[in-house]
Amino acid sequence: MKSIHPLTSIRGASAVQIMFGIVIIAALFAFPQFVESPYALHMMILFFLSTLMGSSWNIIGGYTGQYSVGHAAYFGTGAYTTMILLTTKEIPPWQGMWIGMFAAVIVALIVGSICFRLRGPYFVLASIAVAEIVRITALNLTDLTKGAEGILVTDIPPFKIGELLITDFASKVPYYYIALVLALAIILVTWLVQHSKLGYYFQAIREDQDAAHSLGINLTIWKNTPLVISAVFTSLAGSFYAIFIKFIDPTTVLPLDLSVQIVLISIIGGIGTIWGPVVGSLVLVPLSEALRSNVIAQWLINSGMVDAESGTGVFLKEHLAHAHVLIYGILVVVVILFMPEGVMGYVKKLAAKKKGGEA
Amino acid sequence: MAILEIKHVSKLFGGLAANSDVSFEMTEGMIMGLIGPNGAGKTTLFNCITGYYPPTKGEVIFEGRKMNGLQPDAVCKLGMARTWQKVRPLAKMTVVDNVMVGALCRTNSIKVAREMAMEQIRVVRLEHRANFLAGGLPIGERKKLEVARVLATNPKLLLLDEVMGGLNPAESEEIIQLILDIKQKGKITQMVIEHDMKAIMRISDRIVVLNSGEKLAEGEPKDIVSNPEVITAYLGSE
Ligand SMILES: Nc1ncnc2c1ncn2[C@@H]1O[C@H](COP(=O)(O)OP(=O)(O)OP(=O)(O)O)[C@@H](O)[C@H]1O
Ligand SMILES: [Mg+2]
Repeated sequence: MKSIHPLTSIRGASAVQIMFGIVIIAALFAFPQFVESPYALHMMILFFLSTLMGSSWNIIGGYTGQYSVGHAAYFGTGAYTTMILLTTKEIPPWQGMWIGMFAAVIVALIVGSICFRLRGPYFVLASIAVAEIVRITALNLTDLTKGAEGILVTDIPPFKIGELLITDFASKVPYYYIALVLALAIILVTWLVQHSKLGYYFQAIREDQDAAHSLGINLTIWKNTPLVISAVFTSLAGSFYAIFIKFIDPTTVLPLDLSVQIVLISIIGGIGTIWGPVVGSLVLVPLSEALRSNVIAQWLINSGMVDAESGTGVFLKEHLAHAHVLIYGILVVVVILFMPEGVMGYVKKLAAKKKGGEA
Repeated sequence: MAILEIKHVSKLFGGLAANSDVSFEMTEGMIMGLIGPNGAGKTTLFNCITGYYPPTKGEVIFEGRKMNGLQPDAVCKLGMARTWQKVRPLAKMTVVDNVMVGALCRTNSIKVAREMAMEQIRVVRLEHRANFLAGGLPIGERKKLEVARVLATNPKLLLLDEVMGGLNPAESEEIIQLILDIKQKGKITQMVIEHDMKAIMRISDRIVVLNSGEKLAEGEPKDIVSNPEVITAYLGSE
């Protein structure tokens, strides 16, 4: 008989887990009080942002099994809406982001009406095509988007509620807290999805659309719902990115590269799990930073493995920083070969084996 | 009153008539056997009845209501549920979660759905597998899971497509008992596709025989076994 893995996911967390969670969250909130290094804060912000993007994708890709490789479209929609409203109408970002979310819903419903007729690889290709259309549109609607030149803002207006100043965005700290809250929010949303009818229906669609359909699941409604949830939070990530970096153009917020990276966060961490995108971000954010700052090439040279003056050394120094796509590709191959269900799936399997061994 | 009326249903795949001009009725509470050689069009008829494909011609009337054009999810909500000949477990979900998906067609509450699911899991005797992943079950248990899952949708009409296919005699007997128990309770009407003649003769009140897409005969089991045309169709197809 084929081996059967008992379910290892936990329904209802134990007291220890809840305590552990509270301690981590408290530590994350306290972090900026103890660490002042802007670089450390910057890295944490990127980690939260990555968690937000990965978890958003996870809802449509991981739970519902609709592998969208076009999520840059929603990210870009959020980023552009926020920036355009800010620069042309002086609408502050915390209002603009809502309009960005609304715009993302519209884009999602258009994407859904086109792409959800298709299944499997055809859906993937259609999602890429639609995102490319959005990118090319942004590139050419120069009146609105300034095209390839991009949109730059110098100041973010201070965030006030009535007369009360919440923050003036003078340091990285406010961004840190916003990103942290957004990351916690998407984790909460994912938890709520997993523990409600939504999660059951999304996963049923992932496992077998025809079976799901015959069990009373309206495929149009139940594929568009996760897409809209996913698009809304991806758009929020885009809005946040725009005011954090203060500059956007089609090659930073709308490229295919970005769509692929969003997918990788979940795939590496483990799709269809609450913590997968968090784990994926823990792997990918430091990795991409290491690639960007060229520490890997430096390390290879310093450790004496590669001679700095040799052809290889020169090549690595010049090109490794730009090789992130190659490195991600290798990483995906490794994950698919050795941990087909991501790091989370691998850990779960180990846990199940251990449990099985004891029983 | 007839719970289900099939009126002149035809289904063409290109030039092939998988069903042609099939008509019959089912009364409430009965078990209708649907038999015929391989490729006779039995599964296709299920697909036409449950909205998986629209029939090319003809109509399906359920509780007096025309079903043409309705999608499978709407059909399920109206109270018609089918199992799949080639089982379709939601592989990476547990047995209880699979059945809960069926139950969620009638409730929005996870808690209620879990209770409904456990009830049906007990009916098919899969309690010991409740927390196992559906993808790892052996075929006999997958067939039972199919049945539990559709029962959880609380159907009035159940369409079972070869739920005994590939089972050993003991397992088949369990399924036969299950079908008879469902009939006993009197709430659910059943249409059963089955190749095992002995089993189908035992459980059916009436039988419809399909051959090359056409209805060849209809009647009580004792009339069907002695029908010369049916005998020829079966022997001819061997
Ligand atoms: N989607 C389809 N496209 C084209 N032809 C089809 C399709 N589905 C079924 N057929 C054809 O229709 C005919 C009837 O098939 P069907 O599956 O309904 O037979 P069946 O009576 O259920 O047979 P079995 O006892 O083998 O399950 C077959 O010739 C089959 O090849
Ligand atoms: Mg069949």
